[in-house]
Amino acid sequence: MITWIIIGVVVLVLLFVVVGGYNKLVALDQRADQSFADIDVQLKQRQDLIPNLVETVKGYATHERGTLDAVTQARAAAAGATSVNDKVQAENMLTGALGRLFAVSEAYPDLKANTNFQQLSAELSDIENKLAAARRFFNNAVGEFNAVRRQFPTVLFAGLFGFASDKPFFDVGEGDRAAMNAAPPQVKF
Amino acid sequence: MGAVGLQTHIWANNTRSVILLVTFPILLIGIIYGIQLILMGLGVLPGSGKALGDDMALAASWLGATIPLALVVAAVWFAIAYFGSQTMVDMLTGARKVERRTEPELYNLLENLSISRGLRTPTLRVIDNDSLNAFATGLHEGQYSITVTRGLVQSLTRDELEAVLAHELTHVINKDVRTMVIASIFAGIISVLAELVFRALLYSGGGRRREDNKNAMPLILIGIAFAVVGFVLAIVIRMMLSRTREYVADAGAVELTKNPDAMISALRKVEGRSSLKGPDELQQLFLDNQPDGVGLEGMFASHPPIQKRIDALIRFGGGRDPGPWTGEEAFGSSFSASTSVPIT
Repeated sequence: MITWIIIGVVVLVLLFVVVGGYNKLVALDQRADQSFADIDVQLKQRQDLIPNLVETVKGYATHERGTLDAVTQARAAAAGATSVNDKVQAENMLTGALGRLFAVSEAYPDLKANTNFQQLSAELSDIENKLAAARRFFNNAVGEFNAVRRQFPTVLFAGLFGFASDKPFFDVGEGDRAAMNAAPPQVKF
Repeated sequence: MGAVGLQTHIWANNTRSVILLVTFPILLIGIIYGIQLILMGLGVLPGSGKALGDDMALAASWLGATIPLALVVAAVWFAIAYFGSQTMVDMLTGARKVERRTEPELYNLLENLSISRGLRTPTLRVIDNDSLNAFATGLHEGQYSITVTRGLVQSLTRDELEAVLAHELTHVINKDVRTMVIASIFAGIISVLAELVFRALLYSGGGRRREDNKNAMPLILIGIAFAVVGFVLAIVIRMMLSRTREYVADAGAVELTKNPDAMISALRKVEGRSSLKGPDELQQLFLDNQPDGVGLEGMFASHPPIQKRIDALIRFGGGRDPGPWTGEEAFGSSFSASTSVPIT
């Protein structure tokens, strides 16, 4: 009799731990997905601004075909990306292309004086700021999910419920980082 | 399991709050028991006539009858205090209600935050005062109100103001006002009971009516110990509860705004500039409230020190601390350059 009661209590406690751990994981998983949606909103807004920007720059910087095409292509790739990993890669490409566009625009004083261009670049830099904040929040949520997933005793049964692997972080361009490691940025005078 | 991020930090503090809240009824029972022991020692209630242990057991057996009685009294007390508290808060703060027309930017910030959480926008009030503080009041939907000082609106950037409003909105979402009103009513009941005990002892001290109980002295001493411990614990627990709610509200503000840096720099600006007068029940709802004196203040403070709140935001929210604020304009702006484009 007593052994049965003990077994019952042990089973109940185990059940409690598993159910609690599972619910925790689900909540954290959901939270990370939601905060990726916040990033997505900013990304979409950025994509919507780009055609305008390209048109404006075209009017002044006729010799920068290549740079403009790169931005347009990167934007198309970003708009077409569906999975998180593809999105992250495409957006990093777009960020790079935009950076080059703003760099070449330095050579065109008329363009820099254009109010439309000024407004667009201000809006873009605002989006970049919000994007950076949303990305940090997302990475924080992902880090928390991964940490809880790997904690004992959750790690024992996380795999059973479809939480077998860690969520990927939103990294700022793995390609960029590899390139930076290979050849650190040099300052030339 | 310890906290590893913002959400687990919130969960841990919510669990703590529930545990703290549950201790109040236990304290109340302890104090009632103490009172019974004292009354028995004074000869008002009959003792067992045997050893001290038997007297204490007899007093414990009465709890079955006195606890329901105490619950009824507490319920009536609750009903009166609960409905009276909002009127009292409104009368004491002297806050002015503001509309979208008069404070469009401030109102929009609050409205956007409320919409993102599917809440009816709380009433927004402003106190014309130079100190930097804010608080949320209201016990149920339609009554919720968020009040900020004029000094706060003037000194904080848009992002910081949003973080502060999000902090107060989190208090509303979590129904912290209700929790703290319940805690202060419990603490009130307990302190009134404790006071009654001490008055009764003072008056009866000269009476010398201890005709029949031979355990009078130990019974009274044990009873006093129960009352004193219960009284002190009630205050300490109420303040501990208030502090856990502040940590949750800070974390909730970061959840809403996704910007830990703004919350940190807002706290840095509020630091040392938050003095605002109000009754205890109201002060524990402030954005920041530091006790005037020094000494055991840590135990009796309604808010954690600013530094500890910032440390928690850095550890769990991934924020960055710009250091104490000296009053210069560009503070914290290296992180939040959102002033370039007005948000409409």
